Formats: sequence, C-alpha cells, structure tokens
Amino acid sequence: MTDNLEQLIKEAVEKALEGDMDAINNIEDRVTRSKAKAALVKAKREAAKEKPEVSSDESDSNQDSAKIKTSNENIAELIIQQFPEDINKDLCSEGHIQIHPKNWMAIAKYLRDDPACLFDSLQCITGVDLGEESDLEVRYNLHSMTHLHAIEVRITCSRNNAKVPSVESIWRIGDWFERETYDMYGIEFDGHRDLSRILLPEDWEGWPLRKDYDVQETYHGIVVPKVKEGWE
Amino acid sequence: MGVFENKFQDNVVVASLDKLLGWARSTSPWFFQFGLACCAIEMMATAASRHDLMRIGMLPRSSPRQADVMIVAGTVTLKMALRVKKLYEQMANPKYVISMGSCATSGGPYWQHGYHVLKGVDLVVPVDVYVPGCPPRPEALIEGLLKLQEKIQSDRPLTRKIA
Repeated sequence: MTDNLEQLIKEAVEKALEGDMDAINNIEDRVTRSKAKAALVKAKREAAKEKPEVSSDESDSNQDSAKIKTSNENIAELIIQQFPEDINKDLCSEGHIQIHPKNWMAIAKYLRDDPACLFDSLQCITGVDLGEESDLEVRYNLHSMTHLHAIEVRITCSRNNAKVPSVESIWRIGDWFERETYDMYGIEFDGHRDLSRILLPEDWEGWPLRKDYDVQETYHGIVVPKVKEGWE
Repeated sequence: MGVFENKFQDNVVVASLDKLLGWARSTSPWFFQFGLACCAIEMMATAASRHDLMRIGMLPRSSPRQADVMIVAGTVTLKMALRVKKLYEQMANPKYVISMGSCATSGGPYWQHGYHVLKGVDLVVPVDVYVPGCPPRPEALIEGLLKLQEKIQSDRPLTRKIA
C-alpha cells in the first residue's frame, strides 16, 4: 500500500514539474495530496540549487546590477557633454556623480526630461556630515521607471553657509525630503516653498545629526540630561 | 454596622459614603485612549477580547475630559511632552497616571543618546503606578491597573486630610 502511494506521489510530482499541476490537485486523499505538494517544493528547491552552478554568468540579478553600475558612468558622460563645468569628474565613480551646487536646478531638469535619462522618481534625499572640520553633503537617489536605471548624485556644501538649490519644484516628493534634511543637518534649500522643521519642534536649537551638535540643556523648562560617560 | 444592624431588608447594604465612593471610583476607571509607541500595541492587546479590560471596569475613552486614567504607553519625546502635560491638565479630577514601559518610566533605550526623548514622564506629570517592561506584557499592565485600583480604593475623598 505505501509503495503504491509513493509511486503515485512520484508520478504526480514529475507531471507537476513539467507544468501540469492538476496531477497533484486531483489526488483525492488530503494527506497524500499535501505529501505530494511537499515533495514538489523539495524537488523545485533542489532544481534551483543546481541552476546557478550551470549558468552563473547569465543569471538575471547579475545583469541588473551590472546595468546599475554602468548607468552612473553613462549618465555622468551625458552630463559632462551638457554641463561640462558643473560636474566634478575627479570625484565621480561607479557609485555616484559629484556635482557643483550652482547649476543643480538645470541639471535636475535635464535628468528628469532628457529621453536618455528620464529620472522620474526621486527616491531619497539624505544629508551626510563628512566630519567636524569638513563639509556637509547632500545625496540624491534617482530612479527611472522607463529605463529602469538608477544613479546617485552628490553635492557638497560648506558647513557655515550650507546652501543648495531646491529641486522640490522638479520632483514634488522633494518637499518633505528637503525639509527632513534641513531639520537634521541645517542645509538650506534655496527656492523651497516652505522650508521648516518637519520632525523636531519649531523652536528646537541646533542640527542633531551634525557631528558637532551640542544637545540643548533645557527645552521649555524640561531638563535634557547629558549622559556622556558610559560604555563607549 | 453597629446601629444599622438588621434595621433594613436583606437587599440593602449599609456602608460609609467615603468607602462607597472609593469603591465606585476604583471599579470603573476609564482610561484615556492614546498610545505613543510600541507599548500602545500591548495596551490594545490588553483592551482586546483575550485579556478584556472591560471585566475590571476599564474602557477606553477618546477624550481626556471623559477619562480618569492616563496610560502613558510609549516613548515620550520632548515635543510630545508638552502635549502630554496639556492632555493631563485637560482631564477632570480625580485623575491618575500610569507610566507604561521603560521609555515612559526613564527614557528606556534612549536614556543615553536620545537627545529628543524625555527621561521619564514623571518630569512633567505625577505618576501613580509604574509598569516595567519593554514593552510590558498585557498581564503586567493588568497587574499595574489592579495596583492602581487598590490605590484608588484606599482614597478617602470625603475625609479631611490632616497635614
């Protein structure tokens, strides 16, 4: 009896692997059916294990990452052609494009509208503090739904006069991203329609994610204790 | 009950008004329904059918005017601290506060580096019961609520307090 069942399951799994799921679904006994499904999952898993050894060079995920890697360089070349003075070629790499802040609005418009770029989605804006003696940096992650490529644009600005043109009028989502970056790093985005703090209260002092940030001692009469010593 | 012994029918209970008020208050402390962080999930679980806060007379109210107990469930940021204080002030007397979880009690994991976190809600409102845990399980919160009920019951609202 058990031999018969095993035989039945084996045949059903073989048929299912060829694409005929009815072979399993038509088994009347519930227990046998679930056993057959478990065997199918196992068989599929083993098949997937063997695959990458055969064709590791041509797997889909590798192709995608290669595409993203090269897209930064390609887009950088496009920008060099269009705006030769606004790109810092020395600092560009496979991972990102370094741009001077002055002409950023025009470059952003170009990146969104040019048929070769078509970056219609601004996925993230974030700030980086490069060190107490050093500059601040804004990073933009752009993605194109048409070409399915992505780039990272970086703009540095000085710590004491941190100003970068706002791209909120180009990508509407930039509104809150820029407010958050302003909230945490104090980077001012010129041309933003309402640049105010987004998370912290309006009357907060200082920019918390800067490396030289000093916690304020009281907030509306509430003492903010500074616990500096500890496990560090 | 002294002089009142056997003076009434069997279905009449005689008690001092003071005790009666304490009993009435303690058996229906409606709590203020607001959660600040993950503790709120446990508070919701406590109020839901498995643990069923209704059986100890507690039901959530959405307005501070109708609530007797404020359960501070979660991390109180400095921005929120001012609002928590305002909400507490809007509640009608008698009012009680439960500090639920380590964030509300002491700042919890934000004790050292959380520049934006209030280090204990007792810095802005008086707290009656602290419930430890991160977050406390519903059983722990119920334990805290029963402790609060004991506290309310021991109040004597009509007795003049001698300083």
